[in-house]
Amino acid sequence: MKRRTFLSAAAGLSVSFLAGCALPVIPRRPAPSAAGAHAWIRHHEGRYALYLPRVEMGQNIATAMKQVACAELGAAWDRVNVILPATSDIGPVRATVGSESVRDFAVPLAQACATLRDALAAGRTEGHIDARPYPLEALRAFRADAGAAAGPPALVQGEAIVRGEALYVADVRRPGMVFGRVLRAPASPELAARPLGYDAAAARAEPGFVALVRDPLLRQGRSEGVGIVARTPGALDRIESALAVRWHVDGGFTQATIDAALDLAPRLARGALAKTVRRGCIDRAARWDVDLAIDVPLAAHGAIEPRAAVAEFGSDGRLQLWVGSQDVFYQRDVMARRLGLENDRIVVTGCRVGGAFGGKTICTVELEAAVLARAAARPVKVQWTRAQEFRFGFHRPPSRHRLRARLEDGRLSQWWHAFSSSHILFTNAVVPPWLQHVTDLIGDDGVARGAALPYRAAAQRTEFDLVRLPVLTGPWRGLGAGPNALAIESAIDECARAANADAVAFRIAQIEEPRLARVLQCAAAAAGWGHKPAPAADRRVGRGVACGTYKGTSHAAVVADVEVDASGRLRVTRLVCAHDCGRVINPDQVRAQCEGNLVWGLGMVIADALPVASSRVAADSFADAPIPRIGDVPPMEILLVDAGDAPSGAGETAIVAAAGAIANAVRDATGHRPTRFPVAAGDLRTLPA
Amino acid sequence: MLLNVNGVVAEIPRAWQEESLLSVLREHLGLVGTKYGCGVGVCGACTVHVGGEARRSCLTPVAACAGAPVVTIEGLAGPGGALHPVQAAWLAEAVPQCGYCQAGQIMSTVALLRRNPAPDDAAIDAALAGNLCRCGTHQRIRRAVRRAAGERP
Repeated sequence: MKRRTFLSAAAGLSVSFLAGCALPVIPRRPAPSAAGAHAWIRHHEGRYALYLPRVEMGQNIATAMKQVACAELGAAWDRVNVILPATSDIGPVRATVGSESVRDFAVPLAQACATLRDALAAGRTEGHIDARPYPLEALRAFRADAGAAAGPPALVQGEAIVRGEALYVADVRRPGMVFGRVLRAPASPELAARPLGYDAAAARAEPGFVALVRDPLLRQGRSEGVGIVARTPGALDRIESALAVRWHVDGGFTQATIDAALDLAPRLARGALAKTVRRGCIDRAARWDVDLAIDVPLAAHGAIEPRAAVAEFGSDGRLQLWVGSQDVFYQRDVMARRLGLENDRIVVTGCRVGGAFGGKTICTVELEAAVLARAAARPVKVQWTRAQEFRFGFHRPPSRHRLRARLEDGRLSQWWHAFSSSHILFTNAVVPPWLQHVTDLIGDDGVARGAALPYRAAAQRTEFDLVRLPVLTGPWRGLGAGPNALAIESAIDECARAANADAVAFRIAQIEEPRLARVLQCAAAAAGWGHKPAPAADRRVGRGVACGTYKGTSHAAVVADVEVDASGRLRVTRLVCAHDCGRVINPDQVRAQCEGNLVWGLGMVIADALPVASSRVAADSFADAPIPRIGDVPPMEILLVDAGDAPSGAGETAIVAAAGAIANAVRDATGHRPTRFPVAAGDLRTLPA
Repeated sequence: MLLNVNGVVAEIPRAWQEESLLSVLREHLGLVGTKYGCGVGVCGACTVHVGGEARRSCLTPVAACAGAPVVTIEGLAGPGGALHPVQAAWLAEAVPQCGYCQAGQIMSTVALLRRNPAPDDAAIDAALAGNLCRCGTHQRIRRAVRRAAGERP
């Protein structure tokens, strides 16, 4: 007798598809719905299994989704077991990106759980039941008091983390497993490169040598790869040295190449930029009250877990693949296409991800592991070195912004924001040059994200150019919203100064969205905006504010306090953030996401930048691409505004306000407007150098 | 050679004797709680104790550990699996986001509290400056260290 209860499709919920195209970089997937949720929750003799339809990468979505399931099922915390599924366990789901998990997946999950709960209450314990599309008001998981009495629940996998149990893809160990690496020319994969020769005999003589692999599938971008396989991880280093590959690289570039490609002046001199976010009519000739240029550099994700994968072919030719990816089904689809396997001969298991931030959205190390495992006829683990992460991963695109504003009676009247950036959603890490011409007809919503001004101005023009660069760029936490908001909020701060107005009052008078005004008022009140930090004899102190809306549905405002000493050393001393992402499932973990975004905003101002030289990203370690350290992180206060609006995203929202608030505080403290990031001490120094 | 890890003595075969301590722990002994993050001792994810001192296992040749007991994150819990006070504090403060750096953070904290049972924020920041976290858990780490210090007997 079948004991499991599966819930199956309900009618009446619309299923939509991602608009646009079927380019490989934006795979078609069904929108989450109660219909698709039938396999996510299963019941067996009083216990429940929750097959998490999202990737767990530190947003602790497993905990939030388990809370939804427990609240809706009326089940005790220990009756629900969360499973990170393989592609064989559930139907295809979208990539875990864009702060969509609670917004788009929590309701279908709750609907499936509510249907199961009612079915069990009616005495059904087997068979398939149509999941009912309960309206939001009818769902228990989204009531204001859901779970409030219980306090913050234990983090799913929290104890396993502090005990050091196997959770991440690189923790997977298989019988007979060996270790692989793919060597490439020390150049950006955007440049054609191939091996000219190598010492195979010396490599084979190294203890631990298993295989040398040449396969066209090891090409990344235009960079051919040479695969090596060894019995121990350390032997890979010795074999790489012994092999001593000599490379040929076509062409070359430097930082100056990138600067010239992004330079806005010649682009604006030629007329309108290619893509328009706001197309208002502005007077280009008259004098501007504010005219600001902001430069944001190339930057790494800096996840502490380098990309890794484990691949194993069965004797029947089936592929098992373990990944640390934001899109487990995309990995399966790429494997099928590239290796010529049917989908049902591939099982991809998504592991907990050790930080992704948009960086683990495409297929790189996964294909390397599969190709090496096929060639070596053994299970193979590949984990990129930190140097490979910088060299062959994609990064936050550099962008150049020019912002101009005109005021009338102390209000914005004309606004013109022009910028250039390389691609994000249509990343050059996946899209070949010829196809980029096609994608450029479509645009790039990632680059445009957060570019629309959230304030009223009679005439607004926001436009941008997409520039394919020789370095790889793509999604990075918040996509374009972080840099765009930093530029906008810097310029708005200058507008308030030009209007001789208070920075909070100036914004509130012109904000379009009442929820955004509310978080701004809330942050200002909590920070004691009216009482500026006390001046100090040996350092300059300042306070700044910024706010913004992410993806139209979540809102954040930040007040930052800074101090700057005579040598130009900047310290952020306090960050206060008010945040509205609608109905909150897990307040403590929404706060944790806010804290993370504040630290990322801090990083944007004090650290994030990748050096470019010799035709590549010229960083080999965190020493060359620093991220904020614990001593850089100030006390942070987070206020959650929950007025019962529909749940939206928290994973990226506060990044739209954090960097701007800090930059504006630097301006307040020093009189210097930061225009190039990260801020250099030399720009803030009052002592002679 | 023999290696004492978490109180258990293991024979390290010749094929693994040229490896880093990190690689032996993870891939030969299956103690995967210690993480690879950078390979050059900059990020702290691979922190373990060797002879009672915090060490970067990615830079430590296993051959250099023959005479010194090694303790990893898996060896912190007490008899019967009771969490070490630092591990318990990490859960009480809900520190982990992705969690990948946290074993290293915890091992550095245990070493800190052994040297300085009541560290102030400056001492915490100094001791953990070499343990990077990208998720932004720093404020919770500070709270967890203070909580662990308070709970110490």
